[in-house]
Amino acid sequence: MKVVLKVFLGILTAIGGFVDIGDLVANAVVGARFGLSLAWVVVIGVVGICLFADMSGRVAAVTGRGTFDLVRERLGPRAGLANLVASTFVTFLTLAAEVGGVALALELATSVSYLLFVPLVAFLVWFVIWRMPFEKMEQAFGLAGLALLAFAVALWQLGPDWSELLRQATHPSVPDGEGHPTYLFYAVSLFGAAMTPYEVFFFSSGAVEEGWSRKDLRTERLNVYLGFPLGGLLSLAIAACATLVLLPQGIGVDHLDQVALPVVLSLGKVGLAFLIVGFVAATFGAALETALSTGYSLSQYLGWQWGKRTAPREAARFHAVVLISVVLGAMLILTTLDPVKVTEYSLVFSAVALPLTYLPILVVANDPDYMGESVNGRVVNALASVYLVLLTVVAFAAIPLMIATKAGQ
Amino acid sequence: MTGRVRDLALHLLDRQVVDTDGAAVGNVDDVELHVPEDGSPPYVIALLTGPQALGPRLGGRLGSWLVFWSHALSRHSGADPGRIGMELLTDLGAQVTVARSRVELGVHENEDRARTYFVERIPGARDARR
Repeated sequence: MKVVLKVFLGILTAIGGFVDIGDLVANAVVGARFGLSLAWVVVIGVVGICLFADMSGRVAAVTGRGTFDLVRERLGPRAGLANLVASTFVTFLTLAAEVGGVALALELATSVSYLLFVPLVAFLVWFVIWRMPFEKMEQAFGLAGLALLAFAVALWQLGPDWSELLRQATHPSVPDGEGHPTYLFYAVSLFGAAMTPYEVFFFSSGAVEEGWSRKDLRTERLNVYLGFPLGGLLSLAIAACATLVLLPQGIGVDHLDQVALPVVLSLGKVGLAFLIVGFVAATFGAALETALSTGYSLSQYLGWQWGKRTAPREAARFHAVVLISVVLGAMLILTTLDPVKVTEYSLVFSAVALPLTYLPILVVANDPDYMGESVNGRVVNALASVYLVLLTVVAFAAIPLMIATKAGQ
Repeated sequence: MTGRVRDLALHLLDRQVVDTDGAAVGNVDDVELHVPEDGSPPYVIALLTGPQALGPRLGGRLGSWLVFWSHALSRHSGADPGRIGMELLTDLGAQVTVARSRVELGVHENEDRARTYFVERIPGARDARR
């Protein structure tokens, strides 16, 4: 019974932890502009993140080592460093966006400018990392993030024509008045939202933090292959809500208010209350994950002691890096750069940086020297190779598309 | 550990070094080779770790910059990279295990500094939370 409960809790945590500021913004923006005509990207992205997380989680559980430890070993110090710099830059940008997201959610609740909340949020992010045990931290914010199910309830309450929604989702087409480059640019953003590099660093380092071994692989698979797709469905619910309420009115999404609007319209204040709890939990949880991820990546590349298993003094440089990145992230948002814009850019750069860590993990997951009998199976490998090509194409297309469309304008 | 033939780049360089307690000591950033005068094959006599060892391997301007600053900031003048003699190795697998604690190895100057001057001054630095 205890085991079942643990697995169930893991899946719930994965669902609640799946959505972050990137998913919230990208899905609402896309829903409001393109309806469900980009839903296929979410599906492709979710399958991709499942594959990637499964491989890196398995590698972590079997070898007991984090992603960047292996990246350096596989690519050598020079290429490994280039990889580290690019990935850490994206993770840092995401961290800033998440901190801004928490502050925006608090603004939504209190009408006090989000900028005033940024220092407080940054302090709390650091404090939770400093004091709270790893598993409790993950569960608390993952479970509270389930309040975002308000989007699913709102969708149901809105009483949409389900067959019409399904038709839109299964017959992708570029809406009138939108160019193909813009459509593709938003496809890249959505893809970056579903597959963000930090999710993988965090997932694999978290597996090491929790001391996973081969016998935990089944739990790991369940968390990934059930939790993430359900999280993906939640993302689609956000897009569908925007499709039903914002698209017909021609309301664009440039703030968290508009993301929340469909829920407020159909569920009123109670819906908004749930939503704010969900926003705060999801973005705060992701801020913790991204802050830890910057520390994980750097420490693993340089061979420092890392993680929350020991007292902070035993992993001094790791904790110093985490603290500094939280402070810098807060400072970036305090420059009054729009957090929603920071989020949108972080998604594009996520798409660019993904193959850098994907390839080494794919190579190690196939290496019996590391993995023994837990190497990739045939099906996983076939799919993973297809994704390698896909990720590379997306990475090369992302920046030109961003420039050509002036970031989707 | 002597007398074993291994592919250096594949099985030693860039591996994680852990101490007797399983704590991370650093990476194998470089190795010290001994080239016998009688022409027999060279062998590894020590693992080198830290920025002074990593810098030259990175090469280029970044590498020399790293070496310069770690020299400049080091407390001992003319500091060499952290050195771990091969005789201390107890296991060479996915990780390299050595038979000393990281305090005894003394290759940990930067970690010690980060601890003493920064992290340990924050309340709660000694509490492990699982």
